[in-house]
Amino acid sequence: MTKLTDNRSSEADDPSWIEWATGLLSGVLVIAMIGWVAWEAATEDTRPPEFTVTATGQQMTPGGYRVTFDIANDATQTASAVVVRGEIVEGGQAVEEADVTFDYVPAQSRAKGAMFFSRDPGASEVRLRAVGYTTP
Amino acid sequence: MAQSAGISRDDDSSEREFWRFLLGLGRGAAGAMLFGIPMLMTMELWELGFSIDRFRLLLMLVVNIPILILLADLIGFERTTTWKQALRDATIAYGLGIAISAAIMIMLGIIKWDMPWSELLGKTAIQAIPASIGAMLGRSQLGGQDDDDDDEETSDDGGDAVPDQISTRYSQELFLMAVGALFLNLNVAPTEEIILISYKMTTWHALAVIVVSIAIMHAFVYAVAFKGSHAIPESIPWWHAFLRFTLPGYVIAMAISVYVLWTFGRLDDTAFTQMLMSAIVLSFPGAIGAAAARLIL
Repeated sequence: MTKLTDNRSSEADDPSWIEWATGLLSGVLVIAMIGWVAWEAATEDTRPPEFTVTATGQQMTPGGYRVTFDIANDATQTASAVVVRGEIVEGGQAVEEADVTFDYVPAQSRAKGAMFFSRDPGASEVRLRAVGYTTP
Repeated sequence: MAQSAGISRDDDSSEREFWRFLLGLGRGAAGAMLFGIPMLMTMELWELGFSIDRFRLLLMLVVNIPILILLADLIGFERTTTWKQALRDATIAYGLGIAISAAIMIMLGIIKWDMPWSELLGKTAIQAIPASIGAMLGRSQLGGQDDDDDDEETSDDGGDAVPDQISTRYSQELFLMAVGALFLNLNVAPTEEIILISYKMTTWHALAVIVVSIAIMHAFVYAVAFKGSHAIPESIPWWHAFLRFTLPGYVIAMAISVYVLWTFGRLDDTAFTQMLMSAIVLSFPGAIGAAAARLIL
């Protein structure tokens, strides 16, 4: 309980058990969180960003052919301004190119994106890869 | 507002009531502007107006209703005594929030008539949440100061006067902390800086932020003697208040941070550690907001 006396509050000296329970639960949560972060801090190996780009689908749209993909960063460092380039390959030759820039691909996380091609990538191979990034 | 002050005592009481109501509306509008403008002028929040997940926006709009009602009950427009009055005040605050947000965004050219309705409504709706809380706070903080000051003056002079004891319930205290955290979080959470900071920080920085947030929270309320500071009686060790108020307050600030980040889609497809890092960053202003709410409200 908080007593407001003359517009100044002073904490009462006979608080209810629920206040202690809430306090203890909160204490446990805060300690658990600090523990987790500390454990991460102690065991962390700083691996620079590594990307795997996988195409997830193709759709025909009025503006061209859309290829959707996922980009995953499995490392423990976040990358910013990640450029992903896609190429339609026919007979070993890249016949069309498109690229997309991701603002961020956080550590051990994934992001989704899409790019448009003017020709149907249907039967041909679509090569997707990250070509560069900056550190935030 | 000048007229209302000039109304003489022998005037018809219903007319005075009318002017007082208008004065209240004016204060509410001022509060909505004062607290809402930082967000009305944040680019990311305009973008969220159309990019935000509609279900999450709906949830936040609905959650805002009980928050406003409880706030109205605690600090309300008028001295609210019944739930009906609290409901009325909450509705007025929400309405003011929507109207002021829309009006300012129209004035600034953020809302234009050729925009699709979903974008128009989304932008207004998302801004109305902080603006409506602002309207409620504005009404209680900008208004009624003269009366309060008088009371304090007399009680300070006559220290032996009958103490005016109001006991605030523990749950109310926690609720006010949640509102304070929510308010400051809404201010900063939409900006890209929050996630950028969490990417720049190492986990060691995060540990420091947690400890500093909790320390500031405790110091804000108990150590630095602001007006409204809570005094701990001599007989009680400092860690009693720390355990019962500061730690739950920090957990509330964390929870609100996670909720706001989730609402704005900042946690999607993100690893647990990254989520935690951005929540820790956002809890820093959240903790200050929570502590400030205990003092101000």
